Amino acid sequence: MVQELLFHQAGASLPTPALHVALQQQPRDENGAGRGRALPGYQRSQGRQDGGPLRAQVLGRRLGASVCPLRVSGGSGDVPILTSEDNIVSQPAKILNFLRKQKYNADYQLSAKQGADTLAYIALLEEKLLPAVLHTFWVENDNYFNVTKPWFASRIPFPLSLILPGRMSKRALNRILLTKGEPPLYHLKEVEAQIYRDAKECLNLLSNRLGTSQFFFGDIPTTLDAYVFGFLAPLYKVHFPKVQLQEHLKQLTNLCRFCDDILSCYFRLSFADG
Amino acid sequence: MSLVAEAFASQVAATEPWPENATLYQQLKGEQILLSDNASSLAVQAFLQMCDLPIKVVCRANAEYMSPSGKVPFIHVGNQVVSELGPIVQFVKAKGHSLSDGLDEVQKAEMKAYMELVNNMLLTAELYLQWCDEATVGEITHSRYGYPYPWPLNHILAYQKQWEVKRKMKAIGWGNKTLDQVLEDVDQCCQALSQRLGTQPYFFNKQPTELDALVFGHLFTILTTQLINDELSEKVKNYSNLLAFCRRIEQNYFEDKERVPLRRKSKTQSEENTLKKRKAKSKLWILVRTLGGSLVKTLPLWRLTNSY
Repeated sequence: MVQELLFHQAGASLPTPALHVALQQQPRDENGAGRGRALPGYQRSQGRQDGGPLRAQVLGRRLGASVCPLRVSGGSGDVPILTSEDNIVSQPAKILNFLRKQKYNADYQLSAKQGADTLAYIALLEEKLLPAVLHTFWVENDNYFNVTKPWFASRIPFPLSLILPGRMSKRALNRILLTKGEPPLYHLKEVEAQIYRDAKECLNLLSNRLGTSQFFFGDIPTTLDAYVFGFLAPLYKVHFPKVQLQEHLKQLTNLCRFCDDILSCYFRLSFADG
Repeated sequence: MSLVAEAFASQVAATEPWPENATLYQQLKGEQILLSDNASSLAVQAFLQMCDLPIKVVCRANAEYMSPSGKVPFIHVGNQVVSELGPIVQFVKAKGHSLSDGLDEVQKAEMKAYMELVNNMLLTAELYLQWCDEATVGEITHSRYGYPYPWPLNHILAYQKQWEVKRKMKAIGWGNKTLDQVLEDVDQCCQALSQRLGTQPYFFNKQPTELDALVFGHLFTILTTQLINDELSEKVKNYSNLLAFCRRIEQNYFEDKERVPLRRKSKTQSEENTLKKRKAKSKLWILVRTLGGSLVKTLPLWRLTNSY
């Protein structure tokens, strides 16, 4: 039962696989009984003339990317977007739900407790790691002006490329300040110090949890692995001028090995693009 | 706080033992406190009970403004003021009491993850329900939040707080959620907690930890607070092991105190009105009886005078 899933995105081969959203077919195990093996992705991608071959992949990502859907009508302006026949699904969590309903699920082998652990760790990531990742990409001036903005602007058609990156940056800053910037932290520097501290603690916790095993729940990757990869891979691979968090991540060798494993297994085709 | 300031604060904390007159401040219990604040306050009280540290609960109308971070509850210990469960746990740890020392690294990571889950889902859902659901806002929240203040301040403050909470909800992506989606999230969260708890007495087997205190605070408040409808508490009631868990903690840590019993329902405005009417009626009745009594006593005198 092969469905055609088109994954739209603002630009073609972007420097990191995370924003690529490349759909890849990696049938690791041939008993195709509708079990989503490994990453809940599969399908052959369909190229779209969008400034380059578009490839779509399903991993949960949250980098706050939001671009006007030029080709997808009825979308809410978020990427990644998944279109399948008539459905348009827009946020990572909803995309995963949608795929689960279509019977592509990476969590079959998990016990109930592990499923609960998945939810808890995802909440931990969103609460502790996401503000710092948003800050590194969108708020830190050196990074934003040298890396993120040109990269996004190069993939968005002209008038919007002036507006949208700025809007995304403001939204990221807003989110950080509203959730973390409460008293007794009054100055942006204190907020930044706090969120980076939280993020480093979160990375340490993830590293402790991963230990020496290949994936978080044994030998088979699950939704949690996808989420963690989605957060860590850009942090690990993009070359930033200001690299505080990246340095910390590079010291946690098991997390780096985890990222490299997934990259080499599931992103082989797009690895050549960098 | 910067690293240096934090280190200094914990140094200061470590030198003094826990005093007898430690107090916990929250808003007025019967008329002002809201669902989310009550849950947080109960979580802190449960945590301190589990650590066996004496604490007195004081209700003040301006507790939110007294608190250093703007959130209730906060504790006043010695000459330090600490608010919110996270910093309070660290403060208590600096004083030498800790519930999670026996856990290994992986378990500590899990505990932190589950605490974030509760904060992320349950607390946000409570905030959503009381500030973004128009029916609840109109009937319960506005009048309770503005209770201690005269008109027009009560309306202004309530609207201001509502605007702030709505802005935050929008920033984290909950602005477009419907009530049903929020209740579904609560259900998912309770399911995760129930699966993690299983048949154990506490989340990390035999000893309670701060995670147990936090979960107890939220679930107990949800179960015992009367809102417009019972949808939220119904979601929790579906999981019997969570109900047993709440009951167990209540029995072990709260029922032997002779202060105001924990099991109370916060009243809606209409109930308070009927209570006021009843009190007024009883006063009237007392008045009538005294007047009537005095009339009856004068009766024979009147008859005597008339007979002339």
